Amino acid sequence: MDEIRDEFLSEEDLDLKNMTWEELNAYWTEWLIQAQATNDQDKYTYSHGVFMGMEEPH
Amino acid sequence: METKSIYLQLTDEFNQGRLRTVICSGQAVVLHKLAIMSKDGDWILREDTEAAQHVLNVLSRRSATYRFGAPFDLRWLSGGWSAHFEFAHTFRVRTDFFTRPPRISSNSLGKIWREMEGRNPPFIDPPELAEMKKTNREKDFVVIGEIARLMKDPAEQLLYSRSARDLHSLAMRYPEMLAQLAGQRPLLLQLNDDPDDIARLLDEEKRQLIRVNEQRLEKYAKAGEKWKQEWPTVCKRVEGLSLLEAHHLIVEAAEKYLPFTPTE
Repeated sequence: MDEIRDEFLSEEDLDLKNMTWEELNAYWTEWLIQAQATNDQDKYTYSHGVFMGMEEPH
Repeated sequence: METKSIYLQLTDEFNQGRLRTVICSGQAVVLHKLAIMSKDGDWILREDTEAAQHVLNVLSRRSATYRFGAPFDLRWLSGGWSAHFEFAHTFRVRTDFFTRPPRISSNSLGKIWREMEGRNPPFIDPPELAEMKKTNREKDFVVIGEIARLMKDPAEQLLYSRSARDLHSLAMRYPEMLAQLAGQRPLLLQLNDDPDDIARLLDEEKRQLIRVNEQRLEKYAKAGEKWKQEWPTVCKRVEGLSLLEAHHLIVEAAEKYLPFTPTE
């Protein structure tokens, strides 16, 4: 029986390891395109940097 | 057809002829083949004038515009501020920059620049990536857990593992390291045989790290209050201008409203 281990990410995420460089790039771009669906929700927010948690003034 | 991700295309352009930027955070997680979790790209920028001007020129050619943030100017960036841009590609692309990434010492930063020389694409290694991921977000701690499993050195694993089982197993195999590393991670001296107890220690540590990061961000938010109030006026003034033209006006305005470092 396999030893139980703590899991952090989904199987889908962990499958990235099995992708070639080309497959990763294609999947990455496809993911970015699909993620645009939430652009309105994160229009004024920040993912990185010292303004994280702050809302962009508008 | 261009098969590279937009973030790799940009990194090539930023680093044409010389290493000026290193991919970090979310997109570095992708390049380590761990997960795709962030829409936006962020880079550590080399803190010199030529590097900043070159990257600004690349962004200008992409018709990028400033988002609210610090000017892309070393006087602010060396104070730990971040600068943010956005442009339309086939989709919205956001680019975030800093020269002093959080929780990375100047020694580690120097090491990053030395080790990334000649690497294509340049993206930060697991220990520095794990440090940068100690943010306010729960999901970043999840990623740290998996980043730690990429580390080969047991000392690094002990410093970054988020798994109670992995930590217990590491402590059993390398008991002599616990005291040596406890200065960097006090939790290591409290490890015992109870996985639930280790999980509780990990949770407390996470909450403590989140609080520390919140305090860091609060300092910047407070220092940026006047600049935030002024920003809508600045935006109107630069509307329709090229990025390079807008940049000069934004720098001029920020000199009045945004301190170079948050402690000023």
